[in-house]
Amino acid sequence: MSPAIVVMKRLLLPSLGAVLVGLGGLLGACDQNPPAPSSINSRYTDEQPALSGNGQFVAFVSSRNGISQVLLYDLKARQFTPLPGLNSTMTIAQNPSLSRNARYVAYLAGNQGKPDLFIYDRVTQRSEVLTSGYRHVIRSPSLSPDGRYLVFETDRRGQWDIEVIDRGAAIELDKPEG
Amino acid sequence: MRRHLLRLGKLWLCLGLGLGLGLNGCAGTAKLLDFPFDTGGRSLNSPGAEIQPHLVDRYLVFVSDRRGSQDIFLFDALERRLIDLPGLNSLDTLASHPAISENGNYIVYQATRQGKSSIYLYDRQLFQVRNLTENLGVYVRHPTISANGEVIAFEAAINGAWHISLVDPSGKPLDLPTLPR
Repeated sequence: MSPAIVVMKRLLLPSLGAVLVGLGGLLGACDQNPPAPSSINSRYTDEQPALSGNGQFVAFVSSRNGISQVLLYDLKARQFTPLPGLNSTMTIAQNPSLSRNARYVAYLAGNQGKPDLFIYDRVTQRSEVLTSGYRHVIRSPSLSPDGRYLVFETDRRGQWDIEVIDRGAAIELDKPEG
Repeated sequence: MRRHLLRLGKLWLCLGLGLGLGLNGCAGTAKLLDFPFDTGGRSLNSPGAEIQPHLVDRYLVFVSDRRGSQDIFLFDALERRLIDLPGLNSLDTLASHPAISENGNYIVYQATRQGKSSIYLYDRQLFQVRNLTENLGVYVRHPTISANGEVIAFEAAINGAWHISLVDPSGKPLDLPTLPR
């Protein structure tokens, strides 16, 4: 490799990286998901994977766009699926969990010190909080494939125990065939 | 199962209103279910710690230290009892982050044995454990399995950062575009 190419690489690659990070930051600020690159993993931290019940989608937390975001990757289409309105610059969304066809995404988020449990519906593109008023610490949520039940860790008894939430019979279930 | 849970739900103490749950917009019907607490350690919650739950239909796998070591437990939410997992928990391993397939046949988990962390797959029909990451040579953690039992995901420390790895139940990597390593 000639010295000129080495110099160009040293100069150009970091600036390209900075531009990409900047773009990512802008996109994050607009509450958008990143454009679909083909690779699941980035040069940054990609962690906390969760699979949809049908094995088609993987949700995880990535810091590739300069902030911590929940991303959804379609293993069949080999591209990212947008989650409009899920990631906010005001909070950090963590610990995603998926229903059978990834209609519902359960996750932890909170901007007042204590995370709450949220559920995002990809049909309505809206999140709702499930634990507003729940005074105890919540960790590690897991959503049942039909999207109705959630389990999580709670410190309600002064130790870690498992709590179960029933979203009720009125919700639309994420059934095997759509 | 839904009908059963509903019927049982009537018996369970509903703490939802008291804790201020279910008063928020569309979440109006969400409520906490009161699963049994047993001081003898024969149920879901015990005087020990219960952590890292994973729920698939009737099956709830989790980690507890109720026996003095960190072990994996399987709770049947339909029959409200623990299910034995012969051959899974051994004295020389520290197990964490279990996940189960919906037919109840596969449980994936991370275990540390002799200072080495691996992702294991437990077959509940054969009572056998298989190491899925034996030849990977990197630190791994946080496994999960899809409810249909076809895909396993976990984190692997590659080039100084956590990345997502996806394999099938035999441990073979899924054919997906990846970054050059």
